[in-house]
Amino acid sequence: MSSRRWRESSRTNISEEQITQLLSTLRQLLPEIPHSHSHKASSAAKVLKQTCNYIKTLHREVDDLSDRLSQLLATIDADSAEAAIIRSLLI
Amino acid sequence: MASFTPNLEPAPDASLQFKPKKPRITLQTPSSCPSNQRTQRIKRWRTQRDQHIYSSKLFQALRRSRRTSASREVHETADRVLAGLARGTTRWSRAILTARKVTKHKKAKLPTNNRLRKPDIYRERRKTTAVERKLKVLGRLVPGCLKLSFSNLIEETSDYIAALEMQVRAMTAITEFLCGGTGGGPQPPADRLPSNVNS
Repeated sequence: MSSRRWRESSRTNISEEQITQLLSTLRQLLPEIPHSHSHKASSAAKVLKQTCNYIKTLHREVDDLSDRLSQLLATIDADSAEAAIIRSLLI
Repeated sequence: MASFTPNLEPAPDASLQFKPKKPRITLQTPSSCPSNQRTQRIKRWRTQRDQHIYSSKLFQALRRSRRTSASREVHETADRVLAGLARGTTRWSRAILTARKVTKHKKAKLPTNNRLRKPDIYRERRKTTAVERKLKVLGRLVPGCLKLSFSNLIEETSDYIAALEMQVRAMTAITEFLCGGTGGGPQPPADRLPSNVNS
């Protein structure tokens, strides 16, 4: 970590320790990608970039899923017997 | 609809069980165990029960709303149910719930900013490091988290990611189930059988 980057942090009064702690929390959430550098060769920028990409991926997945769901719901419309089954199995 | 009420019972019970978690979390904040609070938060969206609660609530919401033909409606409903489950403990959930009527309207970058900006010689360089730029992008991705401090943003992000993952799992389960339901179609033919048997 270059000293220039952490000059910024001194302005905002966050200790380096806190930053590394928070970043490690974040790193745990990200899925392990084996083909990328699997060492902890992660500067803050890399972790943040991976986080942003991951959130975008999740958004896209939810978009796709809601697409499929909307199509499915259009076909299943108003079938109370199936709704009862589905509800009982979901709950 | 009366026959459905027994199925609804577990949901209020589950939500009653869910409520005590909130005061527990807020009571622990002044104490000196941030790690406990964090692990509690991490576990929050991971449990099977949370996923069941979310799936059932989402399904009910989808059944109730008329306009489920547009995928955007489904997406917004899913987000709203997800935010509702958070019970207002996180910023992103509150932002989603209060931004209900606003369409997904991303503000374009104001051109005046670039024109009025003095050249770097005449003022101190802002030194938007790579980290700061990425933080800004992250702040735009997580709803309601523009201009948050670093630590708050990271906390919101971690909660948001966990919630999104649960959303994906739950919606995948619902979709697979609906696919299986339409493919199988077991019940309706069974209604016709007694008429044959009685004769």
